Amino acid sequence: MPLQTRAGILLPFSEVPEMTLIESLSTGTGFWNPLAWLIAVVVAAVIVYLIRHRGEPGYKKGTIQTVPFISGNPEPDKEMVHVRASNLYWGYLDALKGYYDLIVPAHTGVLNDYMLWYLGIMAALFVVVMFI
Amino acid sequence: MKPTPYFNRSLWAFHFNSGSCNGCEIEIVAAITPRYDPERFGIKLVGSPRHADVLVVTGPVVKKMKDRLIRVYNQIPDPKVVMCIGTCGISGGVFYDSYNLEGPVDEIIPVDVYVPGCPPRPEAIIHGVVTALAKLERLEGGSV
Repeated sequence: MPLQTRAGILLPFSEVPEMTLIESLSTGTGFWNPLAWLIAVVVAAVIVYLIRHRGEPGYKKGTIQTVPFISGNPEPDKEMVHVRASNLYWGYLDALKGYYDLIVPAHTGVLNDYMLWYLGIMAALFVVVMFI
Repeated sequence: MKPTPYFNRSLWAFHFNSGSCNGCEIEIVAAITPRYDPERFGIKLVGSPRHADVLVVTGPVVKKMKDRLIRVYNQIPDPKVVMCIGTCGISGGVFYDSYNLEGPVDEIIPVDVYVPGCPPRPEAIIHGVVTALAKLERLEGGSV
């Protein structure tokens, strides 16, 4: 018999129903059954194995036959072809270039600079709070 | 990937231009048009040497293409057959004494089938493909 709970209701620990391996848990927003997940994983693994098994078996491992074909050119290092985060955020950074041109040089990494900024901002806030 | 064992008799070719004038390429394209339609026999050009049985080489192998030709040849899974199409690849042709040549092709990689002509006609190319298919079957059968 499926266990029934209501979505959004937190039960005390003593009232949380116990689950067995093959029992389904209905939460009101879906259900959870460990056995169903296990079967799904096994089926997916079998499908992956069958597809892989039908591949070209003639390749010699550890030779150039297993490296990607890049129009006959040698394969660059992985670091050279890696898509960096700066590539993904290029449009964002370019749109806010004026902001970053000011902010990035201010982050010097020197603690004294940060303390000066801290004291300066605190002084400015003090002026604002006291006199405005 | 060969979908089933029945596709083993199909001949998948990868075309490599090692510095050709494009004349042989035009005839290769003519050979795969519906007029001759070799694809009905499973013979077709593929986009990667890793999928190919046959390497179809045109051109006399210029300096820049030598390393790439060797790399492409090594990337084809065994057994494999190399077809050299056109006079340039066979002997260098009119460029035989050029400063820029590393070829002809059989000085760079082993060649199994030669198709002479400048450029060869599509019928000659298809005859070469059939010859290559026979050689490949002998290689797969282990008799060569």
